[in-house]
Amino acid sequence: MTRKTSLGFWLALVLGLGVAEGLRAAVTGVIVGPGAQRYPIAISPLKNLGGKDDGGRISTGIADMIAQDLERSGWFRVLDRSAYIENPQTSGITLGTFDFRDWSTIGAVGLVKGGYTVQGENVTVELRLFDVYEGKQSVGKRYEAKARDFRQIAHRFADEIILFFTGEQGVFNTRIAYVSNAGGRFKEIYVSHLDGSERVQITNNRTINLFPSWKPDGRSLLYTSYKGGSPLLYLFSLFSGKDIKFSSLEGANLGGKWSPDGKMVALAVERQGNADLYLLDQSGKLVRRLTDDPGIDVSPTWSPDGSRLAFVSNRSGSPQIYILDIASGKTTRLTFSGSYNTSPDWSPKGDKIAYSSRVEGRFDIFVINAQGGEPQRLTSGARDNEDPSWSPDGRFIVFASNRKGRYSLYTMQANGENQLRLTASGGDDTQPSWSPRIE
Amino acid sequence: MSRGRFPRLILLASVFAVACTPAGRSAPKASSAPPAPAVPSAAQPSDRGPTAQADTIRESSSLDAARAGQSTATPESSPLKEIYFDYDRADLRPDARDTLRAHADWLKANPTARVEIEGHADDRGTNEYNLALGAKRAQSAKDYLATLGVAGNRLSTISYGEELPVCKEATEACWQRNRRVRFVVTTGRPAS
Repeated sequence: MTRKTSLGFWLALVLGLGVAEGLRAAVTGVIVGPGAQRYPIAISPLKNLGGKDDGGRISTGIADMIAQDLERSGWFRVLDRSAYIENPQTSGITLGTFDFRDWSTIGAVGLVKGGYTVQGENVTVELRLFDVYEGKQSVGKRYEAKARDFRQIAHRFADEIILFFTGEQGVFNTRIAYVSNAGGRFKEIYVSHLDGSERVQITNNRTINLFPSWKPDGRSLLYTSYKGGSPLLYLFSLFSGKDIKFSSLEGANLGGKWSPDGKMVALAVERQGNADLYLLDQSGKLVRRLTDDPGIDVSPTWSPDGSRLAFVSNRSGSPQIYILDIASGKTTRLTFSGSYNTSPDWSPKGDKIAYSSRVEGRFDIFVINAQGGEPQRLTSGARDNEDPSWSPDGRFIVFASNRKGRYSLYTMQANGENQLRLTASGGDDTQPSWSPRIE
Repeated sequence: MSRGRFPRLILLASVFAVACTPAGRSAPKASSAPPAPAVPSAAQPSDRGPTAQADTIRESSSLDAARAGQSTATPESSPLKEIYFDYDRADLRPDARDTLRAHADWLKANPTARVEIEGHADDRGTNEYNLALGAKRAQSAKDYLATLGVAGNRLSTISYGEELPVCKEATEACWQRNRRVRFVVTTGRPAS
């Protein structure tokens, strides 16, 4: 890779501007857990510390993006900027150079302030999280990047805020791959940042392109395409743009999923009308056939330890979720309620499997313990909700819904709360795949 | 990947040749007007007798029709009509068997004809599952034609799942039209 192709540079990433570690435990209980009260936080526009005047684009751009991320998490209530009292360009951004009462008065418990300096193409940004009640700084970070990549800085700091409150970094610096027919009647693969920016069209072959799925290193996508006439599996490298036919197995290749260690691919292959699961090595060569059943076996998803696959089979007469132990070949049925259960996605934490199920003619998202048990319904009363895909931290799910007409992508917390729209392409956006964390 | 850096997505104009004609399939004709009606269909007994030969027929696949901006429905002129299936089923209904018997007769009367059997599904359910279901439907039709004496090497199958519907309304009438197997006919000397 060349310097030219690198997305911003994160030099001098963390300078640790005096973090008060002791605050973490005190506030964790406030924001975590379903039904908990949302943590009221103010996010001040950033102060220009003396560089080039960019017309406030970075000042409000970073504040807006942090606010959007925190709202999407479902754990925060971002206070409306119109209520803010102090002038961000004249007040200070460090402890002792502004008045906490300006923020406690409007109900803020948390406060984000920051400053930036634009020099040429580059920007330096300092961001701080304060505890308004305690009058203390909780997190402080300094970032340098290309000015055009200021959104990434906002996501990095939002991730730090989530880390401070929950002990695990957020997932705002991630991407979503999905299928959209927004460009016309053909389904093509797209990738966009979680914030909707940097939308890149991956395929443009005017046929049918389906089932994008990330390699665990975040560097390439597997997908199924009809560009050669019949459905085959392809691998697209996001960095080089290289696109290769991944599997040359005879038959229709329907979707493919990398094992968590990135060394194998599970996929469904249809021959003579019968779809079964197969295992390939990392170069696309057949390792072995995994299922041999006259019913339909499709949609494999790996357990995080790579030992098992959940998949869809209609061997019992209707599509249900099954679990295959790869070493022993033993298969057990997971879902028993509902007559049409499909698109399983195994949580990266390993404990749950999300899937879509038909209820009274509509599809909704459910989760079930990987050990089995009573499914939990996450969506209802909003037309069809399909294709769930977990965030890399297992705390969120992206899915496709036609609740507002055309299919769009939505995110929600793993318990179904805080369902927020992610895309509005004008076409149908479906089959989302949430990327791993991008380091 | 080194920590603290990650490459920008390369926005390659990955325009895969529009003219990437699948091997062994008829090229997407810009003017895919339905071929001149060659022979009376099996449903309308021919006055030329059961041995009547078709003139050249080159029907477009549903994918090629879609790429040419045309309907994915079977053209009026096609000698072989679609068959239909129940929801989430790939077994042949009595009406489908009747149609397939007529298809077998036509294929015996037109020994140079080859058929690509397309399996389709309605849009309810997951795309993967519907692709597999469409494949099962196409295979059901192929297997039945084989039991009626049509040589297997004249028949190929492909599934388009729910991807190439003939209509898009959320009604049972439209779903039924999409739960179909379509027969794409090519006659004349083998392409190779």
